[in-house]
Amino acid sequence: MINIDEKNLKHGVLGLVLALVEVIRDALRLQAIRRVESGRLTEEEIGRLGKALAELDKAIEEIKEEQGVTEAVQGVRDNLDDLANDLINKIINPKEWKEEQQIEPNTPKVG
Amino acid sequence: MDEEAKEGRYVYCVADKSRTIKFGKIGIKNNNVYTISHKDLCAVVHNCKSQAYVSDDEEKVKNWIKTHQNVIDVASEKLGAVVPLTFDIIVKGSNEDVVDWLRKDYERLKKILRKVKNKQEFGIQIFWDEKKIGDKIAETNQEIQNLKEGINKVSEGEGYFYKNTIETILKREMEKKADEHFKKFYDIIKNYVNNIKIDKIKKEKGKQMLMNLSCLVHENKVKNLGRELERINKLDGFSVKFTGPWPPYSFVSPG
Repeated sequence: MINIDEKNLKHGVLGLVLALVEVIRDALRLQAIRRVESGRLTEEEIGRLGKALAELDKAIEEIKEEQGVTEAVQGVRDNLDDLANDLINKIINPKEWKEEQQIEPNTPKVG
Repeated sequence: MDEEAKEGRYVYCVADKSRTIKFGKIGIKNNNVYTISHKDLCAVVHNCKSQAYVSDDEEKVKNWIKTHQNVIDVASEKLGAVVPLTFDIIVKGSNEDVVDWLRKDYERLKKILRKVKNKQEFGIQIFWDEKKIGDKIAETNQEIQNLKEGINKVSEGEGYFYKNTIETILKREMEKKADEHFKKFYDIIKNYVNNIKIDKIKKEKGKQMLMNLSCLVHENKVKNLGRELERINKLDGFSVKFTGPWPPYSFVSPG
């Protein structure tokens, strides 16, 4: 029996939202690093960028702690990783994908 | 059988002997478990309806699976090597249909039984303490040490990027180390086992799993395998979880 109550739902949605925020934060960080490595920023600009990102990281951690969703967020991110890995495996090995699609006959299987 | 037979036989495992044994009411839903023989094999079964056992109740299903495993344990105590079947395999029909199945699959079953004779399945999981290993790597990595010094000389914002670079380097070096250790441990372990299956790494709280293996081990080699694993367990930052013996579930799938 699946027990859906308001608290669980909120918790789940929040976990999902913050996981998304983290993914976006990661993209931002990547872009920032590229800019820094391009050598086209002044020291002051690099400092401002870094400080802003550090504050963003801190804010995200604080929200996760306050809402008690740190583990939920990790769970979502792990699942996303697994999904991505799974998909890539199937692209690399289409035979596996095909096998999964086949309906198994109803004979006693050992193992 | 073309028609939907009302009756069925739930099959737990197949043994490498032909015996008539009544195990009593140890089956799922307290059913009577007994054997059906054909030539020098016998199947351990209970009578049931021809539909699989399903339920939305997780606890119920968990208990069924526990009972399933228990019957297999009891059966292998009395019958020796068995080919364990996964949960919920039901042969439609009556005892004759079970005999029919044993007859049709005879060669394949004998082949599997030969493979697992005198061997049992064990699980080996090796973990490492990420922080400990990471710290060790950081201490001896010149790039990281230089960056650490650099952090003290620049602004907080610039320091953020230094820290990020350190993390990237650390991650790369740890992956390299993990690979090295996997290969090293695998090479050690394979000397003591007949078959290895590499399973997915599971995420566990507080420690990082390095490798997750299911191994088919001959009873003569178990002690020495245990000794080697104990040696690995004593290494700084590493721990080993050695579980079993189990019936050879992972080594009996077709092919």
